[in-house]
Amino acid sequence: MKGTMLEIKNLTKSYGYGDEQKIAVDDISLSVAKGSFFGLLGPNGAGKSTTIHCITGIAQPTSGQILVDGVDVVKNYKQARSKVGLSPQEFNVNIFNTAEQIIDYMGGYYGIKKEAREKRVDELIARFHLEEHRHKVFQKLSGGLKRRVILGRALVHTPDLLILDEPTAGVDVEQRHDLWGYLRELNKRGKTIILTSHYLEEIQELCSDIAIIDNGKIVANGTKQEFMKGGKSVEERYLEITRN
Amino acid sequence: MNWIGLYTILRREVERTLHVAVQTLAAPVVSAALYLFIFGGVLGSKIDDFVGVSYISFVFPGILMLSVINASFASSSSSLYFMRFSRAIEELLVAPFSYFEMLLGFVASAVLRALAVGGLILVVGWFFGAVTLMHPIWFVFYVSAIASIFAMLGIIVALWAESFEQLQVLNTFVITPLTYLGGIFYSITFLPETAAAVTKLNPFFYFVDGIRSSMIGYSEANSQFGLVLIILLTVGLATLVITMFRRGWKVRV
Repeated sequence: MKGTMLEIKNLTKSYGYGDEQKIAVDDISLSVAKGSFFGLLGPNGAGKSTTIHCITGIAQPTSGQILVDGVDVVKNYKQARSKVGLSPQEFNVNIFNTAEQIIDYMGGYYGIKKEAREKRVDELIARFHLEEHRHKVFQKLSGGLKRRVILGRALVHTPDLLILDEPTAGVDVEQRHDLWGYLRELNKRGKTIILTSHYLEEIQELCSDIAIIDNGKIVANGTKQEFMKGGKSVEERYLEITRN
Repeated sequence: MNWIGLYTILRREVERTLHVAVQTLAAPVVSAALYLFIFGGVLGSKIDDFVGVSYISFVFPGILMLSVINASFASSSSSLYFMRFSRAIEELLVAPFSYFEMLLGFVASAVLRALAVGGLILVVGWFFGAVTLMHPIWFVFYVSAIASIFAMLGIIVALWAESFEQLQVLNTFVITPLTYLGGIFYSITFLPETAAAVTKLNPFFYFVDGIRSSMIGYSEANSQFGLVLIILLTVGLATLVITMFRRGWKVRV
């Protein structure tokens, strides 16, 4: 390991006030090593997406600290955000923009110059087999194609930390395996990847480290080997932990 | 400063504006042409002398301002509200923009659209013989500053609104009445004393007076007070919008 890519210290995120207050993430601490493929698991509403939102700037932490490659995501948010790429669970795009525009605008937001951006957009369009769909508006694309556009957008600025929140939801088996290959390739090239997925075989297949979040708290954290001790699959171990 | 990012916001908004050019550019020009024809051409031709200038020259700055305000307000409010509605605002939240840069992106886009509309209306006004530009630099300053003010009001309304209907509330109940009562079509010297005094409490009176004085050199307001008011409103609204962005009101979860 060459250091820490993500450090979460005593993160709490709550919504509302007084009797209405709901604690979505409750004093969690977590460390993700550089170059690791990290699986973040948990039931619906456990706090996975909220944690991701706090890392990326979509949500403001109530308390605690998050460091991306040593950079505080609140104090030095501009520097921290340029290191992170996000593929969110829900599509957060202008549905009237084309696939090409969505990736290109995002490259622009990250400050990539025109020539380099055009080259990068072409690369991503080709990598995700979007050539014949590049000029189609987002709302006209199928679920799987939409997911690929969102992945392209997350990767446009070649981030050091890639966060994928349910990246294969709605993607067919063939494309899922193609994506797995690409993610492995990215990870081999040194990218740190955080993956949440309800497909636990996907986590078992790809991740080197796993944490489980339940009711806003980290209830398990370790290497995949530790999770699978005793010949159990990730799914069996996950059910054991979350049903207790 | 994230210049490429800012340019991208601007480019995105220009492409959006041109995509619906009939609504964003042609409609305000048609409205302004109708105003000029009715108030300037038909009615104005019956008025020989109106506070020392032709009536069409007197009303033209107000007609232009009305279109500039509407273009600017509509640009920022519809853009940001749609981004909130579709959650595309998250694209800006995760990108390396400061809150000042976010403000600048929305305001610059709205001012650009307002200046484009204003430029087209100048061309129409020129055909009606309504255009005089005595102080072009002040004219650009006033138009840009007023467009900025309404761009920022558009941002605030877009953050506050929970429906497309609410998006129109400020425009219908505040902007339009205050604009018409701000002396676009009449001189306050024609009003009873009390009504004239009340008009002087209307900020829109100073907006239209600023543009009018830069165009035809005729002013009914205290120009220095008007200038200070415009600057204070610009700075005050910018501070408010940056604070709202920083707190993430209605945009962060």
